[in-house]
Amino acid sequence: MAAIELEDLTKRYGDVTALDGVDLTVRSGEVFGFLGPNGAGKSTTIDILLDFVRPTSGQAAVLGLDAQASSLEVRRRVGVLPEGYQVYDRLTGRQHVAFVLDSKDVDEEPIDAMARVGIADAADRRASDYSKGMRQRLLLSMALVGDPDLLVLDEPSTGLDPAGVREIRRVVRETADRGATVFFSSHILSQVEAVCDRVGILRDGELVAVDSIEGLRETGGGGETLRVTTDGLPDAALEAVRALEGVGAVRRDGDSLAVEADGTAKTAVLDAIEGAGATVLDFETESRSLEELFLAYTEGGR
Amino acid sequence: MSWRVVARKDFQDAVRSRALWALSGVFLLLTVGLAVLYATLPVIAGGNPTALGLIFFLAGIIGTFVSIAAILAGYKAVAGERERGTIKITLSLPHTRRDVILGKLLGRTAVLALPVVGALVAGTVVGGVLVGDVAPVATVLLGLVALLFTLAYAGIVVGLSATTGSTTRAAALAIGFFLVVELFWDVVVLALAFVTNGFALPASPTAFPDWLYLVQQVPPSSSFMTSLAAVLPDAPAAAAGAGQAAGQVTAFYATPWVGVVALAVWVVVPIAIGYYRFDAADL
Repeated sequence: MAAIELEDLTKRYGDVTALDGVDLTVRSGEVFGFLGPNGAGKSTTIDILLDFVRPTSGQAAVLGLDAQASSLEVRRRVGVLPEGYQVYDRLTGRQHVAFVLDSKDVDEEPIDAMARVGIADAADRRASDYSKGMRQRLLLSMALVGDPDLLVLDEPSTGLDPAGVREIRRVVRETADRGATVFFSSHILSQVEAVCDRVGILRDGELVAVDSIEGLRETGGGGETLRVTTDGLPDAALEAVRALEGVGAVRRDGDSLAVEADGTAKTAVLDAIEGAGATVLDFETESRSLEELFLAYTEGGR
Repeated sequence: MSWRVVARKDFQDAVRSRALWALSGVFLLLTVGLAVLYATLPVIAGGNPTALGLIFFLAGIIGTFVSIAAILAGYKAVAGERERGTIKITLSLPHTRRDVILGKLLGRTAVLALPVVGALVAGTVVGGVLVGDVAPVATVLLGLVALLFTLAYAGIVVGLSATTGSTTRAAALAIGFFLVVELFWDVVVLALAFVTNGFALPASPTAFPDWLYLVQQVPPSSSFMTSLAAVLPDAPAAAAGAGQAAGQVTAFYATPWVGVVALAVWVVVPIAIGYYRFDAADL
């Protein structure tokens, strides 16, 4: 049984299409990275899974249950780390956790749940006095209440210090180890790369790739990045390079150029730049990083 | 009973509002002060202060406090959580949106009930000692009607708050309601009398059409006073409650129990509208 199953999922807000016919299957027990730049539709997808938002058309199922008709049962079995780390400022940490325990009918002491993420000593302080890292731990302890079958993390790494990022990774691994599914949304590839079995990449409301990290690397062409520094880069040079065969994404950074190119096109790239009147001061090649692959997908070769 | 969990959380949250407690403190002092005045200044009590008279005297200030405090404590109840995003904490848990609205309504009502009951007890005890007269049954009845009134006002404000994701708009709706339905309702009543009389004011208030009595019960604080007259018919100031005095209106509906019906409508309708809008909303 799939943990998440999206079929032709579409959401429009007036004229704006947030999601456009997304089909996706997240397998039970896998750690799935849901990638895409801000505004690509990641949050809308998660909002539909939890019935915060109703789709315009299409289907969403979570743990085999319809995300709308059976939302209550879905939310009984899902743990959620919401985006943005907002908490109830006037409640203590303990009151937050007790609220979740009561809501999910789990028989546990709040302090034990808080101890698991190392904030037991702050249990009786108001959450408004918590640092961002502590708020994140508090919300994590709430998301983990009752050992959910599916853990949804909505942009968990935004604005976190390295310790916070490590904490997220630890939780993801432990959740995966006990056989549950993790759905991890992020706009930062490196934070997904280390922990995810598969990733899906969303761009402008459309799913442009779903694969394992290795698979992505292969389908991405296994190309190289050629970094060229010049004394001054005319627009004509960019156009000439883009027109070449065997050239993928081209990104300009001042007078430098990063070009995704397969091995045979490299010389042609340098020739094209010089042909357009620029002088090449320096160049280096590096094998294509996943980050660039991600950018190539999400920016579409801009 | 998932609404209970939401109500408890919401109570814990709202009960820590400093603004509400500041307002409640002023209210408590005012109530006790007015009770003392009632017992010591013969002018106010018409020369003969009684425990029953005191109750109606205190009901007025309770009505004013509840309306203002409900707006203060309630306008952000749902809209504020949507604006900040904390509604996603509550709704990522197994609660229906109906349970959330119901929990909010009861949580805020409970918070408002604390100062209402506190001031009522303080006012009647202090006043009772000074007057030398107690009316325990009437005091309890006033308490119950005041709680129904508090529930109605919490329902109005929470219901309005549930129709929007913007606290600015929620505040505007709540204050607009207060201005039109409470403060300027007399103008509405007069305008109706004017229009239905062929664009001329009736010669005297006794010439007002009977059905206007019902219109006069519309403001929740009027329904509150009228309900009080219904449950305490022997009180000197009871008469027909708010609006025209009994005897002026002879229609079958000219009974103060109309006030209880009006309060019940205020308990049910705004919260139902708020729920309907909230349930359909993309959050």
